[in-house]
Amino acid sequence: MSAGVKRAMSDQESQQPAAEQSNEARAERGHRDRDRGRRRHRPLPKHLEASINMDELRELIGLITDNALTDFELQREGFHVKVGRNLYSSQPPVAPVLPPETHAIQATTQNAVKSVPHTTPPHPGAQAEEAASEDQGLHLITSPIVGTFYRAPSPNADSFVRIGSHVESETVVCVIEAMKLMNEIQAEASGEVVKIYVENGQAVEFGQPLFGIRQG
Amino acid sequence: MSNGQRRFRKILVANRGEIACRIIWTCKEMGIGTVAVHSDVDRDSLHVRFADESVCIGPAPSAQSYLNIPAIISAAEIFNVDAIHPGYGFLAESAYFAEICEACNIKFIGPRPNIIQLMGEKVAARNAMKAAGVPILPGSEGAIESPEEAAKIAKEIGYPVIVKASGGGGGRGMRVVHSESELAHALETASTEAAAAFKNGDVYIERYVERPRHIEIQVLADEYGDCAYLGERECSIQRRHQKLLEEAPAPVMTPELRQQMGETAIAACKSIGYSSAGTFEFLLDEDGRFYFMEMNTRIQVEHPVTEMITLTDIVRNQIRIAEGDPLGFAQDDVLMVGHAIECRINAENPETFAPSPGKITAFNLPGGPGVRVDTYVYPEYRVPPFYDSLIAKVIVHARTRELAIARMRRALEAMVVEGIKTTIPLHLKIMNDHNFQAGNISTRFLDDFLATNGNRGNSKASAALTEAAA
Repeated sequence: MSAGVKRAMSDQESQQPAAEQSNEARAERGHRDRDRGRRRHRPLPKHLEASINMDELRELIGLITDNALTDFELQREGFHVKVGRNLYSSQPPVAPVLPPETHAIQATTQNAVKSVPHTTPPHPGAQAEEAASEDQGLHLITSPIVGTFYRAPSPNADSFVRIGSHVESETVVCVIEAMKLMNEIQAEASGEVVKIYVENGQAVEFGQPLFGIRQG
Repeated sequence: MSNGQRRFRKILVANRGEIACRIIWTCKEMGIGTVAVHSDVDRDSLHVRFADESVCIGPAPSAQSYLNIPAIISAAEIFNVDAIHPGYGFLAESAYFAEICEACNIKFIGPRPNIIQLMGEKVAARNAMKAAGVPILPGSEGAIESPEEAAKIAKEIGYPVIVKASGGGGGRGMRVVHSESELAHALETASTEAAAAFKNGDVYIERYVERPRHIEIQVLADEYGDCAYLGERECSIQRRHQKLLEEAPAPVMTPELRQQMGETAIAACKSIGYSSAGTFEFLLDEDGRFYFMEMNTRIQVEHPVTEMITLTDIVRNQIRIAEGDPLGFAQDDVLMVGHAIECRINAENPETFAPSPGKITAFNLPGGPGVRVDTYVYPEYRVPPFYDSLIAKVIVHARTRELAIARMRRALEAMVVEGIKTTIPLHLKIMNDHNFQAGNISTRFLDDFLATNGNRGNSKASAALTEAAA
């Protein structure tokens, strides 16, 4: 791997077209460059000098994984890195967009989680959690129990709330049935219902987002 | 399919950690679907990843998640499971939970609720065992009323006896008495100490065993009254009544004693109408006499050592029995091959035993011949601080005890867990201990071992405990 990486670097550095160099000279320089590349201060191409180096990048990825951050983005002149880690692992980690010499890091990050299945098995909250994670600034009403979600007190009755309904903290927003008992769920916030994340009759788990409220 | 039998399509595992994984592995082998329940902090736990379906049932605290009966039953109904396997700990010995499962038409994989209830109450269990002819540790029936009564009882039991507080344990309110002349004084001081510690000065008397061994018998019983025992386990190496290390067979066991203890356990099972897997815990004294201590009506942490030497799958047997299958084998069919040892690896400081939760940064599991590891952790996994500290069980199996010890030493040396502290170094020290190697084990082993091995953090505490218990 490192040989491939160093080869790309030495190609960039070389101003002469490859045909003008003898095979031996090229192999020798490539070998030399590889050795030089192992030291910290290797000559970076000019346009990358102001940007991040390998050690900084490793430290950054370490900080991101240690703190279980979901997304991180950094932009500097001539350089842009985006590292993503989906909390619910329904997708593999977003591939970092990095200059060539950092391919080694990308490979090790993926290898570290390869031994455990990436995908969490289907659980009631998966889709709703993804949808809810996109709604910044909304107050989420989440399910306090495991059960079946119903929007109305009985099959033919009107829904407790709909999009646009105003709620206060004691407004009943739905019923969750657990073990044949109907549990009325209160909003515990005041504002306007702008999102409904679950469908009537859907199984819900603890912590699953049900409604998004714009508070006020 | 014959009457009373039905195959489970789906089982909900009402547990977490290594035992949840263990149950899932067998379910997969049997083609049974699995549902994992988990708290919100356990979302990335291994049992959740490998189950066919999963559902979050509550926040981190066990009372609101793994002990939350409505949440678990609700999950079982939503996923339309046929049965629940409770594992060990949590709700495994909750007669109430077993009853609710029955009421909701979900098969609880374990004995009937009334049996769980019976064996869960110390006094009731002792009486049931007495009635079944199981030897129990001789002692006074209740609190001692007078020094005269004490002397009479002590004479019946035979010295040495131990005076113990009715209201609590932990070494307080305990005095060992070697002869009648010491008895009155011991009663007084024990009672005073007990009153100070537990606000209850009541004491009782029991036969005192200097260096007891904790030997337990594994039983399997079907729902038609047929039972068998799968040999014994030696579990004397304990710290504060928590087992650290177990082995099968017990080094001190003879075929005659095994048969005696096993047949006693079987008679007890039949007497109370036991079904599913269970364990009878006995205290073995230095003269080879055994006494009933308690019965665990569930699968136990240390079940793998029995599985290794008998070539059985206890979880599989539990499931088949719950499905209504007959036991399927006779006592004579039980194999016992070689020797197995299990080390419980805890996320703890190996010297101070302080818990060490956190992220596992480097991880390597031992493998190779005769090594089994039951675990739920993996590289980069964050061990949560909310639950017990067991992260892995390393089990080895070899032809002889000597080979098993060498194998365990090799396996522990190859096990790498970085980022958190573990008790691996302690287990290695035990493997190298000449008393352990010679099989000189009793329930005092670990306290003596820690005291002599200069465990700085623990020597004061263990010395105080030893003194109080003496």
